[in-house]
Amino acid sequence: MADALVIKNLNKRFGGLHAVQDVSFTVRENETLALIGPNGAGKTTAFNLITGFYRPDTGSVSAFGREIVGLRPHDVCAFGLARTFQVAKPFGGMTVLANVMTGAFLRDRRPDAAREKAREAIDFVGLSARENAAARDLTSIDQRRLEMARALATQPRLLLLDEVMAGLNPAEIDQAVALVGKLSSRGLTIVIVEHLMRAIMAVAKHIIVLDHGQKIAEGSPKDVVENPEVIRAYLGSGYVHAPAGGTS
Amino acid sequence: MPNVGGWRFVVLGVVIAVMLVLPLVVKSSFAVDILIRVLLFSFIGSAWNLMGGYAKQLSLGHAAFFGLGAYTSTLLQIDFGISPWIGMVAGGFVALLASLPIGWLCFRLRGPYFTIATIATAQVLMLIFLKFRDFAWGAEGTTIPNLGHAPLMMQFETKAPYYYIVLGLLTIALLITARIERSRIGYYCVAIGEDEDAAEAIGVDAPSVKRQIYMISAFLTALAGTFYTQYIYFIDPQTAFNFNISIEAALVSIVGGVGTLWGPVIGTVLLETTSALLQSWLGNSIGGVQLTVYAVILMAVILWRPTGIMGYLAEVYARRRSKSLSLPAKA
Repeated sequence: MADALVIKNLNKRFGGLHAVQDVSFTVRENETLALIGPNGAGKTTAFNLITGFYRPDTGSVSAFGREIVGLRPHDVCAFGLARTFQVAKPFGGMTVLANVMTGAFLRDRRPDAAREKAREAIDFVGLSARENAAARDLTSIDQRRLEMARALATQPRLLLLDEVMAGLNPAEIDQAVALVGKLSSRGLTIVIVEHLMRAIMAVAKHIIVLDHGQKIAEGSPKDVVENPEVIRAYLGSGYVHAPAGGTS
Repeated sequence: MPNVGGWRFVVLGVVIAVMLVLPLVVKSSFAVDILIRVLLFSFIGSAWNLMGGYAKQLSLGHAAFFGLGAYTSTLLQIDFGISPWIGMVAGGFVALLASLPIGWLCFRLRGPYFTIATIATAQVLMLIFLKFRDFAWGAEGTTIPNLGHAPLMMQFETKAPYYYIVLGLLTIALLITARIERSRIGYYCVAIGEDEDAAEAIGVDAPSVKRQIYMISAFLTALAGTFYTQYIYFIDPQTAFNFNISIEAALVSIVGGVGTLWGPVIGTVLLETTSALLQSWLGNSIGGVQLTVYAVILMAVILWRPTGIMGYLAEVYARRRSKSLSLPAKA
């Protein structure tokens, strides 16, 4: 398998805060990689660095063999990297179909073709029944579905999902896990940020653990959950020092 | 659905027929003047709506393009004897080019800061035309030489031809809007207006899209500037770059419904009619009372119908539809 995304010595500072410190990892084509860690660990910052929303201070991000640091977000997307946001950002006033069509227009400027591609993506995430609903009227899980459909409509090779399962109930999480599995089986490379270990175990074979902007562990789910460093920084803290975990 | 579409064409046909016949029936030149103003501001509002409504880039500086259009055609006419018909298009292109540096400056800012910057650009242009007397008559302005009946120089002895010109301009603006609404750039504008980051994330080159829609909007607004100058036979910086033009362009769209095809037209009809009626009912009583009542109506609309008249109608339509759809389920 070839490398889809190679990240080397990525650094980003916000004033005195070193949000991402010397992070390196590699995502192979067709794999699903999970990025986990406590709040403030730098997961979303890493996403923003990869997708062009922030520019890294130093380090390199290369996707499918090409350096993408310095590209603007829309160029990164055109290059085949699509993302969703931690807080869903639907185009509220537009219908579901129009939202997804906007994504589909990236690859085809003809409205009829875009509509067709959009319908495929909407169908894929299971939102066809709500096609003509205004995006702002959707439930939380449907908004996440919409974000995924919109990203899918840009026909990415690599999909970055930022906490798509946050705030969902257990039944919805199962649906979301199934959806991510379906995306993966379609041949997409996926990088997912998530807090729910149960969900991560179900979707990812390869996990990176971040804490205070540093990579503290990497490996298979089994390696990671047994790693004492990870238990101290992340998994255990949820039980032993619950309040501290939330504010770090 | 085909039924609704069919009705739409019937209604549109009737509206077009009425609009074409109107100046032949209405003989009072005062009434035709009001009609011309309604069409003119519907047109300016439609031009503004492309950027301010669809892409939600709230400009209050469209007077800049109105003035550039007005001055370009007038300078070409007086200094070089070039017909305002050509000057009008030339003015459009001057405004289109001017929108590039103006956009380059203003689009760095978002929200209210963007709006303030656009106000400033129109004011700066006004000051330039006020101060540089040798270039364009300075503060005194100039009258357009009256040639009597000269259609090739956009001059007419009756008001009806002006009516048809501005009706034509409005039709062009509506056709352009309808076309944009259905095309990629239209979707991209609305997406940017909703959430610029999310739009960027799915491949929308937001700066480029904003630049393009600003160019179209500026071009159209400039055409209105030429028309207005020809219509009133006079130009000076205070008229051409008047802040009220910027305000009115935004206001008619906001009241009618931003980001909708017919919003600016409906807004203008409502506001201009109200203002004209109030003027004739209350104009002779206490000074300024008609403006106060006008302002109150304006506030009421913005307070209770923030999505504008078109937004309200769409809501009512959607509610009715969902009701009629849910009926069979209950039966």
